[in-house]
Amino acid sequence: MASRFWADTESEEEEEEITQSDDEGSEESATAPSGWVNKAKSYLKGAASDSDDSDTQGRTVKSTRERRNEEMLSTLEQIRNATKINDWVNIVDCFDKLNKQLEKVSRINDSNKVPTTYIKALVLLEDFLAETFANKEAKKKMSSSNAKALNSMKQKLKKNNKQYEELITNYRANPVDDEESESEDEEEPDMSDDGVDDVIEYPSDEDREKDGEDEDDEGERKGDWVKSQSKKDKQMDKQFMKDPSEITWEDVDKKFKDIIAARGKKGTGRVEQVEQLTFLTRVAKTPAQKLEILFSVISAQFDVNPSLLGHMPVGMWKRCVANMLLVLDTLNQYPNIVVDDTVDMDEKETIKGVDHKGPIRVWGNLVAFLERLDSEFFKSLQCTDPYTKDYIERLRDEPLFLVVAQNVQDYLERIGDFKSAAKVALRRIELVYYKPQEVYDAMCKLAEQNTGEEGDLEGEVQELSRGPPEFVKIPEIVPRKPTFPESSRDLMDVLVSLVYKYGDERTKARAMLCDIYHHAIFDEYPVARDLLLMSHLQDGIQLMDIASQILFNRAMAQLGLCAFRAGLINEAHGCLTELYQSGRVKELLAQGVSQSRYHEKTPEQEKLERRRQMPYHMHINLELLEATHLICAMLIEVPGMASPAYDRRKPVNKTFRRLLEISERQAFVGPPENVRDHVMAATRALTRGDYQKCFDTIAKLDTWKLLRNKDQVLDMLKTKIKEEALRTYLLTYSTCYESLSLDQLTSMFDLPEGRLHSLVSKMIMLEELHASWDQPTRCVVFHNVEQTRLHGLLFQMADKLSVLVESNERAYEASTGGTLEGLPRRRGENQETGVGGGPQGRWQENFVASQGRGRFGYSGRVSGTGGGYQKGTRGGFGSSRYQDAAQGGRVGGRTGSRGGQVDGAPRMVNLNRGIRA
Amino acid sequence: MASTHDLTWKVAPHLDRHLVFPLLEFLQERQLYNDEEILKAKIELLSETNMVDYAMDIHKSLYHTDQVPQEMIDRRVEVVARLKSLEESAAPLISFLQNAALVQELRPDKQYNIQMLNERYQIGADQIEALYQYAKFQFECGNYSGAADYLYQYRALCTNPERSLSALWGKLAAEVLMQNWDIALEELNRLKEIIDSKNFASPLTQLQNRIWLMHWSLFIFFNHENGRNGIIDLFFHDRYLNAIQTNAHHLLRYLATAVVVNKRRRNVLKDLIKVIQQEQYCYKDPITEFLECLYVNYDFEGAQTKLCECEQVILNDPFLGKRVEEGNFVTVPLRDEFLENARLFIFETYCRIHQCIDISTLAEKMNMSYDEAERFIVNLVRSSKLDAKIDSVSGTLVMSTNHINVHEQIIESLKNLNMRTYMLAKNIVEPAQAAAQASAAAR
Repeated sequence: MASRFWADTESEEEEEEITQSDDEGSEESATAPSGWVNKAKSYLKGAASDSDDSDTQGRTVKSTRERRNEEMLSTLEQIRNATKINDWVNIVDCFDKLNKQLEKVSRINDSNKVPTTYIKALVLLEDFLAETFANKEAKKKMSSSNAKALNSMKQKLKKNNKQYEELITNYRANPVDDEESESEDEEEPDMSDDGVDDVIEYPSDEDREKDGEDEDDEGERKGDWVKSQSKKDKQMDKQFMKDPSEITWEDVDKKFKDIIAARGKKGTGRVEQVEQLTFLTRVAKTPAQKLEILFSVISAQFDVNPSLLGHMPVGMWKRCVANMLLVLDTLNQYPNIVVDDTVDMDEKETIKGVDHKGPIRVWGNLVAFLERLDSEFFKSLQCTDPYTKDYIERLRDEPLFLVVAQNVQDYLERIGDFKSAAKVALRRIELVYYKPQEVYDAMCKLAEQNTGEEGDLEGEVQELSRGPPEFVKIPEIVPRKPTFPESSRDLMDVLVSLVYKYGDERTKARAMLCDIYHHAIFDEYPVARDLLLMSHLQDGIQLMDIASQILFNRAMAQLGLCAFRAGLINEAHGCLTELYQSGRVKELLAQGVSQSRYHEKTPEQEKLERRRQMPYHMHINLELLEATHLICAMLIEVPGMASPAYDRRKPVNKTFRRLLEISERQAFVGPPENVRDHVMAATRALTRGDYQKCFDTIAKLDTWKLLRNKDQVLDMLKTKIKEEALRTYLLTYSTCYESLSLDQLTSMFDLPEGRLHSLVSKMIMLEELHASWDQPTRCVVFHNVEQTRLHGLLFQMADKLSVLVESNERAYEASTGGTLEGLPRRRGENQETGVGGGPQGRWQENFVASQGRGRFGYSGRVSGTGGGYQKGTRGGFGSSRYQDAAQGGRVGGRTGSRGGQVDGAPRMVNLNRGIRA
Repeated sequence: MASTHDLTWKVAPHLDRHLVFPLLEFLQERQLYNDEEILKAKIELLSETNMVDYAMDIHKSLYHTDQVPQEMIDRRVEVVARLKSLEESAAPLISFLQNAALVQELRPDKQYNIQMLNERYQIGADQIEALYQYAKFQFECGNYSGAADYLYQYRALCTNPERSLSALWGKLAAEVLMQNWDIALEELNRLKEIIDSKNFASPLTQLQNRIWLMHWSLFIFFNHENGRNGIIDLFFHDRYLNAIQTNAHHLLRYLATAVVVNKRRRNVLKDLIKVIQQEQYCYKDPITEFLECLYVNYDFEGAQTKLCECEQVILNDPFLGKRVEEGNFVTVPLRDEFLENARLFIFETYCRIHQCIDISTLAEKMNMSYDEAERFIVNLVRSSKLDAKIDSVSGTLVMSTNHINVHEQIIESLKNLNMRTYMLAKNIVEPAQAAAQASAAAR
């Protein structure tokens, strides 16, 4: 059969056609409809026009969606046929086709819901595969090509089915008819006009079962729901409207069990379940029972929105908060009730009444509830448009959560469960750490005012659960208002130390990062730096989850900003450069998605990424960040570029160099518009030594208004710019001068004499500038050290040779495991002889050298304070970022830095610039 | 105020009670604080020790009475009683140890010793324990030499590493207080080894132990003749440096002083300056600031003023300001050395960045008269430490600038490559040859 041969080798389209013809030709059993569709399709292929399509179809207008679905169905049919004759080659083809069609279908439906047809096919294949493998004799009889196809199919299916595992099991649990799956797929609003489907589908029982999967069908069946629900309600009322005293514990328990059993079953509305349970809480006979039911209410409330992307409705969230508070009230009222989620509970445990002595165990997990509550809050902020009023309204609910968290933490501490308390503390930390004092104060004020609102809420709750008065009354014991210490630092200190003491590794690391971030906001750079270095977070951050990596990146960014505000340019640069190296700052900080030109992200990746996003109010201003980074880079790079060719340093910040090149390539330079333009314009001025213009350009940036101490920072910046302008000027023009007087320089650069003297002295000491002071005449005398191009090249060669030798030695060491004996110590130490005041290996230089890109990091600050963190001697701001493994970014990044290391080595000689204060 | 840079209150918490006494004595002598305050501090210190008599004396001189509070008298009785009981319980072992002939029987093997003592002299673990208690009690009473002896012997018999460690600490303290610097240094090294090798329950305790060790070592290093190298070696040890940076920033003063004073260890200066810079936000004093002025900011005037302050600091520091009386003169050797070296530092740096210096300004910068300065320079030039000439007409010092020839520079940078490559080749070839020979021999 030639077609088979072709099927394997030809391009997609042909393959499709051929298999189809194969179908028709070789198998009489092909059913009419599928054949018809196929014909239509092959025709369509040939003509490749839509109007033709409708012609053949007898003017039935079909949407693309329907067509796709039909295609799929037909393929399914093909598979079915092929299974009958045990033709595996054909099955493999069909399977491929099916996958292609699935892609198309999901593209059209723009959802990632997998059509039931597809799942059905998978199930069919799976079954058949198992059957074939069971039947050994048949297998033996197979032709070789068939057997091969069988095996490959087995592999493929195994791989493929993994992603749909759940759906398959679902399907197996309740198989659906074809038509139904059809209509189920088409339940999107735009399809609602084909009424026939609706009519058929509506009453069908099976459909209800799919409740668990689709979210938006609620409205469609509202009518039905309401009816049945009211009926149920009536029953319940009838049962419980009796005199409350007649209701027994057993009644309530039975009803409770009924409702719980209905959870997730067909015909159970989530909202209704919540209502029913809430009703039950009112008639619960014992506090323990009430608690038990309350827990169920809360979990039912969480169930209302089953989707990962969406969030819980705000109202529901608030009610949930109220319920949590109620739970806490109960727990405080009856301290003998123990909440536990590890042991299996005794059935009758909750029958024990108020007067029962000894512990009563109730199943539940407060921390899990609280964490869920927090993440729902977070999600709702993610999903809300930050520019709307809704967002602000939602933000106002934050104190509400903090109350619950505080109370839960208090409770847990009281019962001595510090481990869980640490978890709760972390949640609280994560709500506070990014708030500067002003925002914190505002939040405190808001919390004060919030009482009125909460009253409304209570009313709402009352209203919701109309019915008999509560049987077990719980007074409000836990405070409904959060208490905040004066400064957020105090709060942070308390929480953080709790976490350090009792938290697990991840909690501790996160708390530490939040702590660093918070310190950085409050301009306590040294403290933040020490925390970072002592905790050795940089070493292990790559191994942590993405959320923590994002937090790490945020902390680094904030630390950079903090260093910049403190005038520590090199440090700031060290913190920020890596963030900007990849050009994916937004992604690294989870503040928006950056589009990559080169590869498309799959919908899954995008969705994942969207779920990681920081809510708007937590964002770090990107413009400010960029300005800081570029200005730091400018201050470092410009003098570097000015130094004479023979000892020109490797660019410290390649990103900046690249930007500069781009801007220099422009034929006409317009007035600066964005941050980058401004800095580039400033750079041009600085290169000429024109500090005033440089500063003016930079001062024009809008972002400075975001700084609290704007004037101070600008003053600092001005001094720094002057200093670097001086250095640039001296480096550029030293060859043109025999001498320059100190007075002239001071007037030129408007720097105090002492500072200027010290700057120039330092350059002389570090041999950046070949000059010396002439003390009686107060001027700098330049020594012209002529170096020809040949000399320069020779130096470069010497550098390269030493790298070569070094890498040889390293290779030797790597292969033998031992060090070379009898050799002088390498690196830092032996370089020292080469350059006066050269680097000496232990502290920064080693590190910088090994990183090779001159992150003037500080390394080696180590200790064992704090929560008993490990000691060691590594450090440096190795900011790592999270990278999607799927995108292969990490691999790229790693090798990049490898390369950097080797490259960086020859530059050791010049690294002493990094030591500058 | 002279006491602004006093570190006693920072150092004291890391010292043993008894070790604080010398510091207080020194402070009393320097009159940095009120006598009364110091005396009160002393009583406070003594309250936890057994040196009740001493405390009584101080109390008398403080309040100028002959009355002694009842509690002190009570305490005295208690102490004496306890001493008696301890003496009794430790008596068998002590009498054994005092007999030189019997001590001969002991061997290096602890297990054997214990067994032997137990079998022949009925001295069991209880007595050994009593020895420890007794030694500790002796120490508390101020009988350091006795304590040192007993502790030494205890260590030979003790099997509990924890106890052994604390006995070692006690021994070190006793030796320091008796000013046996050589032995103390030995004990110090022993202790250091144990601390570094031992597995502590938490890094925090290890850190604490290191910090203690460094504090205690100050006594030794500033008194022992080889101490100045010792302190640099110990403090610049990675782990110890980290400990300083973490929790004992004030030790930087002593490290800095030691580095300045030590002529042969100039190579560590750069490291030191880096550390000082890193820690400047949490610790600075004139000595560290002096180095910073000189080597970071090249601010010579600043260095000059700081140097004057340094002198005061050194004089007022219990460790640095040790006096030596020679005939009628009282000198503080460390101060003199420090000033001399500091001057040299200033001069060196100054010369490096200048090609022509007015000698009178130079003299001013170094706190010298013109003639003194000239003599100083001439000496340096003669000993060929300085490549310069004095222009006596204009009163200037002219440096001869010499730049390393580019040619030389290149040669210099390539010189050791040859050697390194050779070593590498040798390292690779030799094993290969050896292997070849071995295989040939096998055949």
